[in-house]
This record gives sequence, structure tokens and C-alpha cells, in this order.
Amino acid sequence: MDAAADPFEGLYARGVTDGLPVIPPTRERVGAAVAASGRAGDALIALVPPNFGRATVEKIAVNAVMAGCRPEYMPVVIAGVEAMCDDAFDLHGVSATTNSAAPLFIVNGPVRTRLEMNAGAGVFGPGYRANATIGRALRLIVRNLGGAVAGGITMSTMAHPGYFTYCIAEREEESPWAPLSVRQGFAPGDSTVSAFAAYAPQVTYDHQSHRGEDLLITLIHTIAVMSHHKSTHHGDTLLVVSPEHARLLAGDGWDPERISAFLWDRLRKPVKDLIPGVNGGEGLPAHVLKKFPHPAIDTTLIAKVREPGNFKLMVAGGTAGRFTAVVAGWTFPKMSRMVTKRIDMAGHRGPASGGRQ
Amino acid sequence: MSDEEFLDPTDSVAVPRRTAPRPESLDGKVITLLDISKAKGDHLLDRVEELLRERHRPKAIVRRKKPTFARPAPEDLRALILKETEILVEGLAD
Repeated sequence: MDAAADPFEGLYARGVTDGLPVIPPTRERVGAAVAASGRAGDALIALVPPNFGRATVEKIAVNAVMAGCRPEYMPVVIAGVEAMCDDAFDLHGVSATTNSAAPLFIVNGPVRTRLEMNAGAGVFGPGYRANATIGRALRLIVRNLGGAVAGGITMSTMAHPGYFTYCIAEREEESPWAPLSVRQGFAPGDSTVSAFAAYAPQVTYDHQSHRGEDLLITLIHTIAVMSHHKSTHHGDTLLVVSPEHARLLAGDGWDPERISAFLWDRLRKPVKDLIPGVNGGEGLPAHVLKKFPHPAIDTTLIAKVREPGNFKLMVAGGTAGRFTAVVAGWTFPKMSRMVTKRIDMAGHRGPASGGRQ
Repeated sequence: MSDEEFLDPTDSVAVPRRTAPRPESLDGKVITLLDISKAKGDHLLDRVEELLRERHRPKAIVRRKKPTFARPAPEDLRALILKETEILVEGLAD
């Protein structure tokens, strides 16, 4: 590419950006990112669905540079690629669906502080370079190596702002519970990235509950309308609990397992309340409805979220404020699961902070 | 950096592919109709099959189905279609 012309215009015209200006991926900048990864540039990390572009370390580095990543972010971006390209994540479906789910990346472990990632006030918002650019790099990879371009392969009717960048960290220091990564099967002290096919966060306000159960009932009313009030059989569902809400729940004896079991149980609805065309046109799909010969009087309970284990809890956000963000997952329960990968810091040779672009 | 080149963020295998050459005629050809398992895709393909039989003389019309629309067709299904058919019609989405 001829960089003599305006590089931003040139890259945008090639269709390889998200519409915002990018850092020109010069050989020098990309070389620094590859070096900081501690891996060979031609090492293949994954094939990115649905087009199965080859995500080599160098291709990942080109996109990371364009997104504005510092070289030392590379191990996190690489682990993010591994997570979203895992078969269990089904990036093919996530990228193609008319639904509005984008990979949300959740970072746990010591790498959060090393890279100055935001887990606190404004956790889903702007202002922190690592959150902003790691999430953006992974989105550019979905586009440039996976082929997911809106209106082409990506048929999402609405999408949401997290399609630009969607990366948060857990505020482990303010959590009364084990970190998400540990509940996902990793050792305490491991740095990990979890990929979750996520809708936009629905932030629920509850400043008046003084008992854990009361707060959970408030949250149930938010969770109950994911997709619509009669949709059922959801898969993984994320709750980003603020430090204040987490303290209230833990102080009242609620841990993530007990919370999940309670939410799952109370979110079930009888068949008679899920009939299409009654109280709204939506309802149980035909193949489920036909199992119940007298649906109008059938009280069989149908699960909103398929299993208690589909609830994923983490703590993040500012220390002031009683809020919990409910983040719905892609609605097909057997398709996309939250996938967690360990960040390989062993090969990391970059500086601990700073680093030039 | 005026004389520098930028590295390519895409993969050459991921660039848009050209469509296959269109056949002159459907007569004597084996045609596969692939249902991707989206709701009512079978209704559409039933009608496509009727029209194909009405208007052309294909050697055979084969019906195949993906297990789910949300994932790529399994490798063995792709291989089977490649082996047994000359023309593929896929019922995409709803």
C-alpha cells in the first residue's frame, strides 16, 4: 500500500478499519508487537470463522497495531483470539446471526494491573488504553481475518456499541467470591481471557434492597425480559455485579452457586404464560408447544435459562453505586459458550509498561 | 514514512471469492438442494424442487440438510456434496 497518500484515508478505503482512524501498521510497529509476543511471526494461532482467515502472530500484530495496542498487550490479544476461535464459542454463528451479540472479553489475574486495565468505575466505558485497544484489536481481527463485515457476512439487524470494542476486567480485589477465571477452572493467580457472546449490558438499579433475596428478585425481573418476556432456554448469561451489590449478597450468605440456583428456579414460567398470541405475539416455538396438548391450562415450568451453571458471575464497576449489569448471551443455548483461555506470559519479552507505538 | 508500505491486516484466503461459473443448462445435471435447518427452509426447497422438475430435466435432485444453521456444514457433508453433485442450491436464512 502506498502510504504517501493520507494513510487513514487509504486504510479506510480498503475496508479494513471500523470507521475510526487507525495506527498505520508499519513494518517497524508490527515487528515490535511480534517481538513482544515472544512467538514467531508465522506461528498459527487459529483460523478465524467464518472465512477461516489464518490468524498468525504477525496478522494478529498488524490488527493490534492498527487498533492502538502497545506491544505488551499482544499475549492478551493472542489469548482472546484463541478463546473466540474455540469451537465451543461458535464465532461462525456469532458473526453471522441477525441477533446482536459481539464477543465480550473479560480479563482476570495479575495481567490486569500490569497493563493498567480498568475493572472499576466506568468499566464498560472509555478512557483506558488496554481495555479500549485490546477489544478493538479483536474486533478488527473478526472483520479482517474472519470476514465479518456488516451487511455482508454479519447480518446483525441492530448490533450494538460493543461491536467497536468490548473488553473489561474483573475487580477481583473488591469481590467476596473466587474470580470468574477460577470458577471457569483456572488456578488462582493465572491470567486469563474469557470470550462471551454478549448483548449490550442492561444495567439494573437497586438501591433499596437490604436483603440478598430482595436484590435477586429485582434482578430476576431484568433477566426475565432478555430477548422478550416469553423467550426460554437461554444459554450462558453474565451478571456483572457491582462491589456494593456483591457485598450485600455475600454478607447475606449468597455465593455464586446459590445465586445461580435461585435465579434459575425463580425464572421458570408455566407453559400457560408462554403461549404465542396471548399477551404478545411471541411465545414458545411450535416444536416445543406441540408437546403440550392443552397449553392454556398447562402449568409445566419452562426454564428461561437452561441450567443454573449458565449463570456467570463476576464483580466489576465503581465502589459507589448499587447496580448490576445483566449481559444476555447469544440466545442459542447449545451454540456459543463462554470460553476461557490462559494468557501465556512465558514468552513475553516486552517492557512491563510504556513501549512505543 | 512517506515511502513506507503498510502490512496487510487481512488474509489472502479470506478475501471475497468469485462465484462459480453459471451452467448453460440444468439438463442431465445432478442438483443438490441444501437445507440449512432454518424454520420453513424445507417449504422453500420443496417448491424449488417442483419448479426444477417442471422446467428442466436434471439427472437427479438430491436433498441434504445441515445439522444446524448456526455452524458451518460438517466436513463429511461438504465432501459428500462435492463428490455427488454438480450444482448446489442452498436455502439461506429466513
